[in-house]
Amino acid sequence: MRGTSAIVGIGESTYYKAGAATESEFQLTCTAIRRAAEDAGISVKDIDGFVSYANDRNIPTRLATALGVRELRFSGLAWDGGGNGVAGALAVADAAVTAGYANYVVCYRGLAQGQFGRFGQARERGRMRAEGHEAFRIPFGVVAPATWYAIIARRFLYEHGTTENSLAEIALVSYDNAQRNPRAVRYGRPLTKEEYLRSRWIVEPFRLYDCCQESDGAAAVIVTSADRARDHPKKPAYIWAAAQGMEYRGAAGGAFGAGYNDPEFPTAHLKVVARQLWSRAGIGPQDVQVAQFYENFTGMVVMAICELGFADPDEVEDWLLAGNIRWPNGRLPINTSGGNLAEAYIHGFELVNEAVRQVRGESTSQVDNVYYSLVVAGPGALPASAAILSAER
Amino acid sequence: MKRYLPESWPLPALTPLNRPFFTSGRIMLQRCSACGTVQHPPEEVCHRCLGTEFDYVASQGYGVIYSYAIQHYAPAPVLQEVVPFNIVLVQLEDFPEVRIVGNVINCPPEEIAIGQRVQAVFVPVTDPELDETLLIPHWERVD
Repeated sequence: MRGTSAIVGIGESTYYKAGAATESEFQLTCTAIRRAAEDAGISVKDIDGFVSYANDRNIPTRLATALGVRELRFSGLAWDGGGNGVAGALAVADAAVTAGYANYVVCYRGLAQGQFGRFGQARERGRMRAEGHEAFRIPFGVVAPATWYAIIARRFLYEHGTTENSLAEIALVSYDNAQRNPRAVRYGRPLTKEEYLRSRWIVEPFRLYDCCQESDGAAAVIVTSADRARDHPKKPAYIWAAAQGMEYRGAAGGAFGAGYNDPEFPTAHLKVVARQLWSRAGIGPQDVQVAQFYENFTGMVVMAICELGFADPDEVEDWLLAGNIRWPNGRLPINTSGGNLAEAYIHGFELVNEAVRQVRGESTSQVDNVYYSLVVAGPGALPASAAILSAER
Repeated sequence: MKRYLPESWPLPALTPLNRPFFTSGRIMLQRCSACGTVQHPPEEVCHRCLGTEFDYVASQGYGVIYSYAIQHYAPAPVLQEVVPFNIVLVQLEDFPEVRIVGNVINCPPEEIAIGQRVQAVFVPVTDPELDETLLIPHWERVD
């Protein structure tokens, strides 16, 4: 079951620094969906399915009502965490249109951190108590995602002799690509390695530029069956394969990214995803021309690159510093829009739009002859997910 | 001995499952009464045999730092007064499959290192709303 569905429309709101949007999160989300429908050459009223991933406040019934959708026939959600579900949402939409539960499924994310506050900032609630698995980490100060993942990344760096040079390379590549992308919040704000190294610590081993931005915005795509996809104005980006997954006892010690008693710790939780993805796709890492890796924190991207099979963990630093992820001549240019670090942090969904652009030939950092375009979600958060888009079915 | 993080920082909500860990003054690990499997943190079901009855086994309380982070940015205003602070993941010597999140006391951030041997020490902290004293595990360097 490869390429039975396709993305035929992409849309996004203007991307803002957190707090800078003049519209509400719900309005931003409606704008992204409207633009995705326009791009697909359909009316928003023809959308009959809604899929997002955990933590989206913009629920399908409210959206469908506000958009004047004639009939909502399907709704679905990739569970848990947050950005780990980006490609999982595509998997749900793929299944829905392939099985005929809906004809036009919109996958979306709205995120206005200015309006609703940001991830990673604990709210002041006076004395509160930590419950469930959180009782074993919050009382010790493990409260923000940056901290969960710093503990994972530190062990990876230790085991494989990887250094800040690898983390820097991820950030520098994202910023470099953003300088060609006028949508990017960091457009016109280049980053040098010296500036990276001088930036303040958030939580060691992560500096400021190792952490995703905080943004206001929304992004959306329209998924339909491969048969319908041919009748739309834009070149379809087929959902060649998608996968979600988690290894044995991956959340032992805490859900989200804090599975410190996972037998495979330190992991980005992408090993099961990678096995399934390549198996379903019938191709391997060598066949992919371009990739978008969700950057919550640079260290997790380094781990994700390894777990997807692009580099050996013990050699990943050399592989990165050899220019392999640089546009345009690297073996695998990544995060060609600037991604979470430098385009906008729309909880990673903007990466799907960019993966589609690469298939269409519409990226501001276009890679030549893209046939397979990879998007990898939420390294460290779980269940993780990934998807391969293709130019043909 | 004072708590490493501020007195007003959240405490665990005590439950039958976690009470031994946070009140006994020892590193108490959940053990399945049916099959003897040890799991941490405690869960309502044994992951090996799906048993639902448990007892607790005490670790000797020695371990090594398996990983760590040094927190510079305060994720909540009350933590401003203590940054930078350390967070460690301790692998127990007698239960090496178990890793415990905690803080090392009497250790400057730059001296925290993977492989450093540590020992559990317990700091009494009174939960003012419950009028109950918890014994919160902390870690101290040992040779």
